[in-house]
Amino acid sequence: MSSLLHAELLKLRTTRTFVALVGVTLLLSLLVVVLTGLLSDRIAPQDARNLFTADFTGLFIMLLGVIGMAGEWRHRTITGTVLAAPDRLRLMGAKTLAYAAAGLLLSLIVTVTIMVVGTIILSARGFETVPVSDLADVLWRNLVVAALVGALGVGIGALVRNQVVAIIGVLILGFVVEPALFGLAPDVARFGPTQGAPSGIQDIEFFGEDSDPLSPAVATLVMLGWIALFFAAAGVRLRRRDLV
Amino acid sequence: MRVRHHVGRMAPVEVRDLSKRFGSVLAVNNLSFDIEAGRVTGFLGSNGAGKSTTLRALLGLVRPSAGSATFGGRRYEELERPSTKVGAVLEDASFHPGRTARNHLRVLATTGDHPFERVDAVLADVGLTDAADRRVGGYSMGMRQRLGIASALLGDPEVLILDEPTNGLDPPGIVWMRELLRAQASRGRAVLVSSHLLAEVAQSVDDVVVISRGEMRGRGTLESVLGDDEGLVTAVRAQDNERLTRALQAAGHTVKRSGDGLLVPGASPEQVGIVAGDAGVYLVALTPQARSLEQAFLALTADGQPA
Repeated sequence: MSSLLHAELLKLRTTRTFVALVGVTLLLSLLVVVLTGLLSDRIAPQDARNLFTADFTGLFIMLLGVIGMAGEWRHRTITGTVLAAPDRLRLMGAKTLAYAAAGLLLSLIVTVTIMVVGTIILSARGFETVPVSDLADVLWRNLVVAALVGALGVGIGALVRNQVVAIIGVLILGFVVEPALFGLAPDVARFGPTQGAPSGIQDIEFFGEDSDPLSPAVATLVMLGWIALFFAAAGVRLRRRDLV
Repeated sequence: MRVRHHVGRMAPVEVRDLSKRFGSVLAVNNLSFDIEAGRVTGFLGSNGAGKSTTLRALLGLVRPSAGSATFGGRRYEELERPSTKVGAVLEDASFHPGRTARNHLRVLATTGDHPFERVDAVLADVGLTDAADRRVGGYSMGMRQRLGIASALLGDPEVLILDEPTNGLDPPGIVWMRELLRAQASRGRAVLVSSHLLAEVAQSVDDVVVISRGEMRGRGTLESVLGDDEGLVTAVRAQDNERLTRALQAAGHTVKRSGDGLLVPGASPEQVGIVAGDAGVYLVALTPQARSLEQAFLALTADGQPA
């Protein structure tokens, strides 16, 4: 498993996709933090804390996992990959761990950067900054979410296989279905894989006053459940599938 | 005959009663053959004959409906570090277009626990050293084939399997491929190379397995399958072709018209001459014509009953 994991991490490092996604995520996250920091009349520490949490990392990491797995079919490299690693479940396991690690790294880079830049802006404008202990709290929550959504992206990519369909599906789920559920059935939305459960881990109140987010522990378990569900469904399909 | 069943000794590659059905289509039907070490075996058949399906079943990419395909008695999926046992280049070998050849091989080396020095070695073997740091998306078909070969050679495997390796190669590339196949066999490797073009592999193979419509049509040495006595054709012209035709048919031969003469498949000139003499027919011309390998191959892979 160690060799497979290293190989998957090497795959990640040797195309432009990961670097491009880090760049885009960093740029968008910084844009939001800088504009909010510069244009807002007043930013309370709790607002700043939420600002450091609500970055674009989660979505992009999930897309990274989707692209990494479904790309094996898009570029028709799945045959060579399975020839090198015939145990298809181990292969999926290694990919899942690799993209969880990639999620951690991407989130670490983005979160630390926006925290530093945001804190500098807050200080320069004379606003109260977020205490280091709170920043650390935000950081670990972001990292956990990043690792989980990276792993989930691999499961989604392996199950759907068509890269374009998988990406569009994730975007619709994240931007349309789950937000709609927040209004219609917040108790259900809390369990969603792209917004609901991650919000529970990050302790963000997306649900209005009628419903609280899940506790971090429960939300983490829910995310692990989503990962297991997609992994199992994709694993069964991948093991049975003839690669012709 | 080297390609055969063995009792008591395990060949590097053994295919036994292998069948594969896709829905209502029987792509491979009850194939059995062995591949020997130190020899190049041509796996021949027209497009759609079932060659790629057989190779994919051998490599664990396709689940057989019946039978088995093993390397030293073990299925591909059961091999430890499979890249040290089997190297394969499939017809649709694809690479991530954004990754360089060197990095592609480094990924495979990492997966198979091979030192990165092997990457440089196989790049040199296939003549890609100068292009190693270019992205594969810019490679020609021939360069991709070479990269595929490099990938297969990375683990210095005992068995080499190549599916239509000459596709997309220019004439020098085809010559290079032939020499590579012979070199690998001379190092004791078992080499299995599929092709739908006999001419491209006839000069480099020792043995052949010929299939058509998923069924075995012949196996053995190249000569025994495609160039034996059954391949002889005698061309004859007589003063009275009609009388000679009747005499030959009476003697049990098949006779075909060919221009102003006759063709007698499966008969030697001596046999035709004796029949003509017994019938009192004067001959004007009598010429042995060994049927070409290509003709024999086409005859084997044409529709009809399996051999």
